[in-house]
Amino acid sequence: MATAVESRTFGTGKHSGKALRAAGQGRTIMDETVKTFLDARLNADVSRRRFVQGAAGLAAVTVLGLPGIAAAEGGKLGGELNFLGWDGENGANVAKPFLESNKIRMNASFQSAADEALTRFNTGGRGAMDILTPNKDFQTAILKSETELFQPLDLARIPTAAGLFPAFKDAPWLVKDGKTYGIPIIWGDEPCVYNPAKWDAMPQRYTDFADPKYKGQLVLLDDPFGNIWLWAKSLDMPEPNRLTADQLQKVLEAMLKAKPNVVTIGASHGDMADVLVRGDASIGIGGWAYQVLIAKEKGVELTVGSPTVDGTFFWSDSYAIAVDAPNLDNAYAYIDFMTKPESNAALATELASGCTVEAAFDLMKEDIRGMFPYENVRQPGGGILGTQIVVPPQDADGEVVGAAAWVEAWQTFKVS
Amino acid sequence: MSDPVTASSQQARRILAPMLPAGTFYAVFFAAPMVCLFVLSFWTTKGFELIPGFTLANYVKIFTSPLHQALMRRTVGVAFVTTAIVVPAAFALAYCMRFVFERRGQFILQVVLLSLFSGYLVRIYAWRTILGKQGLLNSTLEWTGLIDAPLEFLIYSNIAVVITLGGLLLPLAVLPLYSAMLNVSRDYLEASRDLGAGRLHVLRTVLLPMVLPGLRTAFAFSFLLAAGDFVTPTLVGGSQNLLIGNVIADQFRGIGSNWPLGAAMAFVVVSVMLLSYLAVMRIIKWVTRW
Repeated sequence: MATAVESRTFGTGKHSGKALRAAGQGRTIMDETVKTFLDARLNADVSRRRFVQGAAGLAAVTVLGLPGIAAAEGGKLGGELNFLGWDGENGANVAKPFLESNKIRMNASFQSAADEALTRFNTGGRGAMDILTPNKDFQTAILKSETELFQPLDLARIPTAAGLFPAFKDAPWLVKDGKTYGIPIIWGDEPCVYNPAKWDAMPQRYTDFADPKYKGQLVLLDDPFGNIWLWAKSLDMPEPNRLTADQLQKVLEAMLKAKPNVVTIGASHGDMADVLVRGDASIGIGGWAYQVLIAKEKGVELTVGSPTVDGTFFWSDSYAIAVDAPNLDNAYAYIDFMTKPESNAALATELASGCTVEAAFDLMKEDIRGMFPYENVRQPGGGILGTQIVVPPQDADGEVVGAAAWVEAWQTFKVS
Repeated sequence: MSDPVTASSQQARRILAPMLPAGTFYAVFFAAPMVCLFVLSFWTTKGFELIPGFTLANYVKIFTSPLHQALMRRTVGVAFVTTAIVVPAAFALAYCMRFVFERRGQFILQVVLLSLFSGYLVRIYAWRTILGKQGLLNSTLEWTGLIDAPLEFLIYSNIAVVITLGGLLLPLAVLPLYSAMLNVSRDYLEASRDLGAGRLHVLRTVLLPMVLPGLRTAFAFSFLLAAGDFVTPTLVGGSQNLLIGNVIADQFRGIGSNWPLGAAMAFVVVSVMLLSYLAVMRIIKWVTRW
């Protein structure tokens, strides 16, 4: 996968993917090893709407500062720390100074699906799991269903959490009954990725993709929740994640109008990028800014943009601690260390994502931080990440259909 | 004179003992999980919890759902079409390797098996490169002037799925057929011809019955693997790429998952495929005796 990288920077200005549209402007260098990680992420199972991170060594880390000896009650650090989450979010290189100086051995295992943590927890993992990394939607679903998995956090033991962007300090998907259940570590969005040689801009709404001029040009991500949510938003459903059977049917009908224009449905963001690079499609819906960089490596110009009226949705992953975690002191100290500005900047750079700590922003390279609209996270209450709940309720709730109905609707879309 | 019971039990031990390691492996890593999966197919879910019990609701949903019925028909259809192409092609190739290019048969076999050296996904992406709008085939046809625009049906379509599956499964189908034909002496075929049988008659009544075990295996490889594949339709099948395997995978994917329903689907698919396989074997046997 590793190829010679070009020197590139992205247009400065707005903290959004719009910066990437300026072709031919000066570029800064992206480290080879960061690219290796990101390439591995492209081919992750899209059901996570995220990417498997490479686990190779990384040199694109900013200065970490001193190996922080994080606060812990009674100074009881050392021993083991169990990690189950998305590959790369354990921050093997970022956390190395902390782990070595405190003589902590991290036992990291990686999940391939959002609910794998719950499966392991319920099948003998309880009492043997410490750090988990749920995404926003899964965490929302767990907290709403009152399923035991995450324990409430003692924020006094994570003083660095005070440095989070306002949107993450009291993020509604992490707080329940006044208790906080996770500390956000990275975030991002899922814009459309398209060929600027064919399209000047994206239409105003996702429903506009039914226009015959898009025939044979669209590639979608195999994500039932993201796609149905986008079309539900486009139809101005009052609560796009809570649909009745009739509303879901209307959304399906609207999506089917665009179906003739869909070339294929990508299994992952990597597969989607491959389709766009080959020229088999020219617009990817529910994409990732990194696909632009990959296409550039292969001599194909792509850019990001979202429908001007509908926009897109955002994701965020957090560190959480499992119920009955056996190494609680180590877990708190680890989270506190990883939430330091230097650590958060390094991890976000490594994973080509947005940072969640305010002071980390200035420590990040422009080519990475320029990918995301940071104005969204500078407002309290979760900002747009808080108002957007993309995942439906797991079970039916009165007239509101459950997640299984969404999955079936998506399958009906694919079969038609 | 040895005790017949002792002799019988000794013989049984001689037969069963070598099967013990493999049998234990299959019992632990196949039979036991399948039994667990079967039991799971009668459970239900609420939220993220599995609710043990006994209900036929999952099976009723599968048999009454237009979506699942359509998927089953499509899956069986794609599998049959793929097999109808792969098995005759493999048979013809095996015949040539055995009776026409007899001395070079092994060499040809090695060439056929060469594609298996590369990874499964690599081969699918290779077909994507060949069949794509700007792929090798379209580019060549445009360059020769035979077409003015790319043939879009070659990629992201059921045709692409059949072609790709055919390419993946042909080497696997050739193996058992060639192996079976190696046990067929040329003398049988020549004697039949000497007695006045036409070529087709010799093929149907002499060669086919003798290679029937190989034919069954080739059919099983082609049909069952084609029916169960969900990666090929995902990567080259296009926007209508769903086969039943994709739907089963979705049931185990996370939010919205329904493990009992997925387990029930798996067993329904296994049953349908098994019945289809047995039906075709009966037909082939009937053809050879007709």
